[in-house]
Amino acid sequence: MRPVFAFLLLALICACQAQSDFEEGDNDNDFAEFDDEFVGSNYYTEPAAKNAESNSAGEGAGGDSGSRQEQVPPRKQPQVVDDDDDDGLVEEDDEFEHFQDEEEFEGYDGGDAKDPPIDEQAEPKLNIPNIPLHFRTHWDSYWMEMLMVAGLLAYFANFFAGKAKNARLAQLWFSTHKALLDENFALVGDDGKAENENPGLIKESESLYTLWCSGRTCCEGMLVELKMIKRQDLVSLVAGLMRPQLDQVHIKIELTRGLMDSFVFAVGTKKTITKVFKEYTDLSKFCSLVGKPEDRYNVPNGFAVLSEVPEATSAILETRIITALKKYQSYIDYLHISDQFSGPIQQEEGNTLKQLETKPVLLAGFNLPKHAEMETIKPLLLLIFYLMERLKTYRMSKEGKSKSDKNRQRVEEEFLKSTHAARAEAAAQRREDKRKQEKERILADEDPEKQRRWEAKEQKRQAKKNAPKMKRLAVKSL
Amino acid sequence: MSNTVDPRRKEKINRYKAPKNQGQGGGANEDMMPDYMNILGMIFSMCGLMMKLKWCAWFALYCSCISFASSKASDDAKQVLSSFMLSVSAVVMSYLQNPAAMTPPWAS
Repeated sequence: MRPVFAFLLLALICACQAQSDFEEGDNDNDFAEFDDEFVGSNYYTEPAAKNAESNSAGEGAGGDSGSRQEQVPPRKQPQVVDDDDDDGLVEEDDEFEHFQDEEEFEGYDGGDAKDPPIDEQAEPKLNIPNIPLHFRTHWDSYWMEMLMVAGLLAYFANFFAGKAKNARLAQLWFSTHKALLDENFALVGDDGKAENENPGLIKESESLYTLWCSGRTCCEGMLVELKMIKRQDLVSLVAGLMRPQLDQVHIKIELTRGLMDSFVFAVGTKKTITKVFKEYTDLSKFCSLVGKPEDRYNVPNGFAVLSEVPEATSAILETRIITALKKYQSYIDYLHISDQFSGPIQQEEGNTLKQLETKPVLLAGFNLPKHAEMETIKPLLLLIFYLMERLKTYRMSKEGKSKSDKNRQRVEEEFLKSTHAARAEAAAQRREDKRKQEKERILADEDPEKQRRWEAKEQKRQAKKNAPKMKRLAVKSL
Repeated sequence: MSNTVDPRRKEKINRYKAPKNQGQGGGANEDMMPDYMNILGMIFSMCGLMMKLKWCAWFALYCSCISFASSKASDDAKQVLSSFMLSVSAVVMSYLQNPAAMTPPWAS
């Protein structure tokens, strides 16, 4: 808007200049034509009246220059002419005669004003230079751009600082736990390449580091994910001010098949548990939320329990685990044990005709301490190993087993029922495809006898397909 | 805790296989931020280029920065780069066409 305004202002000034020049020329002409015995006096009435008005305004303001006042007599004359009053005209001339007197004003060169150069009598030429708009604007007007560039610089400064901090935290976690991991796993840190090039943490993104460990009894492998706050992203940091987040470590252990008895169980903070209850297939299908877990299982306040078989739940939540939960309450987000883990609920349920593959897993989520005191959460990894050993040794009673078997059967039946229509449709489609293939094969064959035979067979089949319906109808009508 | 027995088993080593779905257990935890920002950046760049809105071009630049910052290491770097180039070109083009200072959307 500013440049446009500046341009308009410029145009206005130019226009005013042009107008005043034009008027000056007019006045001179007025004076000349007045001498020609009032020819065209009517024509000049209006501008003259205007001049008179402006003149009076100028007098009101006071302090006008002499040159301006000098032009007064010729301006007023046409007005007088309109009135046809010759005497008045003469008197006014006399009245302002002292203006013509060169000695009246000291140090004033009246000659120039009296006799303007002949060139100026013609219409003045206006030269409006073509000034590019940006020459008129100042750097001050680019404050928004400066703000944007400053924002970008701040963003990148934060990016490098945040990235470095996340990397440092992840390395700190790894170095703290490395000895323990080495004691438990034959392979610590794997990048998945044919030759393990850099055993250690893998950087998935600036805020996500993973570590794969394998080669231990009870399990196939353990995937550790260090999910940091997105320190590298300034926008996320600002969003984090409103919804505080924590650095987290997620551990996923794939248990050996047949290691644990079949049950599903989860314990964790209320918020997380309600979230995962809706999200994960196994939890939503097999488990129910336990009411008053504080009284029933003695878990700390603020924790919720999802349980399938109460017997297994109480066996897992034994004294040592409860003590650990209480001691590290602020660091434990959730523990999830399942023999039927198949990931989060799939959105496009209709497309899957086969039940998802399930595997026994032990999942855990811990919060990292705020001041990078990684030693404080080292016992949590020991808790995980202890849980693994416990799952290996724990066996459910017969009742518990039959209950869990029943649950698995129920879930399977539900699945089959839900996909019945889809499966029937798929079977019909398969049959139809088969028939089409056969038809093409027969048509490709050059033996007309064979074709005729096939057509007859097909007709018969069609008739047979339609016949029972009619028959049934007839029976019904009887 | 059975610390007395060495739990390590060399014969049970399984090599790491990158999960199909990122995150712990699948798509629910997947971070969609870089993709959203990429698309948003592209929309803003287009608006900046077509409608000559400078603030749109700047927003596009910010979006591609966020997309870059939160992109995964396994992601295609070309995508981030192209989004960057598009937003930068939107800014440059809008100032080449009209070097006047930017007017915020609420001032016009």
